[in-house]
Amino acid sequence: MAELTPKERVLRFFNREPIDTMPFFSGMGMVLMPAIKKLGYKFPQVHVDAEKLARSAIESARMFDLDSIVVPFDMCWESEALGNTISLYEDSEDILYPTIPEKKWKVLEDVQITDDDIENIMTRGRMPLIPEAIKIIKKEAPEYPVGAWQLGPFTQCGQTIELDQVLKGVFKKKELVASILDRFTDMIIEIGKSLRAAGADYITLREPGVAADLLSPRTFKQVIQPRLTRILAAWDSPKVLHICGSTDPLVEMMNECGADALSFDVKNNIPETRKKVGDDVIVLGYFDVFKLPCAEETTVEQAVEGIKENITSGVDAIWPGCDLWPDIKEENFRAMVATVREMGGTPTPAVGRL
Amino acid sequence: MASKEELLEKLKNGVIEYEEDEVKEAAQEAVDAGFDALEMIMDGLAAGMEVVGELYDKQEYFVPEVLMCADALYAGLDILRPHVPKREGGLNAQVVIGSIQGDVHDIGKNLVKMMFDVAGWEVHDLGRDVPLEKFVEEQLRTDSEVVAMSAMMTTTMLGMKKVIAMIKEKNPNVAIMLGGAPVTKDVANLFGADGYAESAGNAVSEGIKMISRLRKMQSKEGQ
Repeated sequence: MAELTPKERVLRFFNREPIDTMPFFSGMGMVLMPAIKKLGYKFPQVHVDAEKLARSAIESARMFDLDSIVVPFDMCWESEALGNTISLYEDSEDILYPTIPEKKWKVLEDVQITDDDIENIMTRGRMPLIPEAIKIIKKEAPEYPVGAWQLGPFTQCGQTIELDQVLKGVFKKKELVASILDRFTDMIIEIGKSLRAAGADYITLREPGVAADLLSPRTFKQVIQPRLTRILAAWDSPKVLHICGSTDPLVEMMNECGADALSFDVKNNIPETRKKVGDDVIVLGYFDVFKLPCAEETTVEQAVEGIKENITSGVDAIWPGCDLWPDIKEENFRAMVATVREMGGTPTPAVGRL
Repeated sequence: MASKEELLEKLKNGVIEYEEDEVKEAAQEAVDAGFDALEMIMDGLAAGMEVVGELYDKQEYFVPEVLMCADALYAGLDILRPHVPKREGGLNAQVVIGSIQGDVHDIGKNLVKMMFDVAGWEVHDLGRDVPLEKFVEEQLRTDSEVVAMSAMMTTTMLGMKKVIAMIKEKNPNVAIMLGGAPVTKDVANLFGADGYAESAGNAVSEGIKMISRLRKMQSKEGQ
């Protein structure tokens, strides 16, 4: 049988239909400096221009033979759409993602997300650029699946008001925090639907702010899980739930949230996770986004060994455990992709082979 | 009137139970009664924070609880610190601290700062989203013994390496502490740092252990 296109491979993968080889793809930021440089762009420009956003994402996938194209790259879109100002670091020579240096809401009582904000969120700030970029990608690179993502309500809340306020509020101002998280939940549902309607083939819900070294598993169950479940229920498949940091105590609860796949970072004990969720659940991640592809000191051989460990760890695809750091060492990254292609013919726990 | 022991207990428990008002009351009472403010800080507030660290290690407390305990500690520290005679106020040491450019998260940084505040260090807090060269300038300006930097994201962590190189080039004796979610021991070693804390929580654990050591040093000095 002929080789599948990346899009066929990934969509079949999420349906748990047999595929030709293990996909190497992501649902989080995957823009790479060699691609940005090749296009003649500067890093700060790719966040504020739909064409540059789309083309840098396409080129990153094509240049390194990856199986998906993902937009956007930074985490400030929604916060900006709610009235905050981003810092782009245009004068810096370093690779710095946009941030929100000062948040307009200082305390929880200031937060006001109206129905109008939610209904019209896709028209505010830079938000219209994402559907526009998705459309460009669909036209220019139809052989690729397009991944989009949203932060979860807790993490998004921390992008909009100071995270320490939210963390303390979980105890001191329970009802207020609950009502704010509900508004964010409604907003995230709407944005996710809009991104899928614009053509995104799958979506990842990322909630790193609730890792078990920050919040207790009990708080996760009471405050976070119901809202993640509500979001995932409102979105069409395929949908991935990602949490980074300490996740071992959260695995079973994550699995109850209704995602088609679960994603973790390198801190998760994947073999244990596999035992907990069984072989029917798609497990992704356990990919060190800095040490293997980027660290100056990591040799090609070490990068290959690292990715081999990742391939055989019990995951169903090679999927970075966070945004890929853009400044990869090309020789390491190419060798890692080649290794996945060589070894990817073996079935994984949840997905068979043609 | 409450005894010294009673007030120490009240300060300690107030921190553990994150009862800001109780801590404020006890601190004021201690000042009014003329008790040794440094002893109140070390054996009351800091002793409470040590227990908080143990509760965190046992996963009975998580970051929200620790933040609330820190608020209670500062409520007491604000009242007691002005009454600590300057030379007695700690180690007469200075630290430059901040979250690195591109990173607007400062929970871990603030928890580490608390450790230095308790210990009576002079803290030069540069805040967050701090340009790399600012760390170097501030270290040179203040001649601080320690520079502590935090980054919550991989995307900003790499800036630390540059700062370390710039500082070590000018002043090889400065101790550098790194902290933040993406910072591992390997990374700290690779970057040439002298210490690290891998998360806000880890900063709590490590910071509180340092407070313990400082308390022991303090009590030896007092003997």
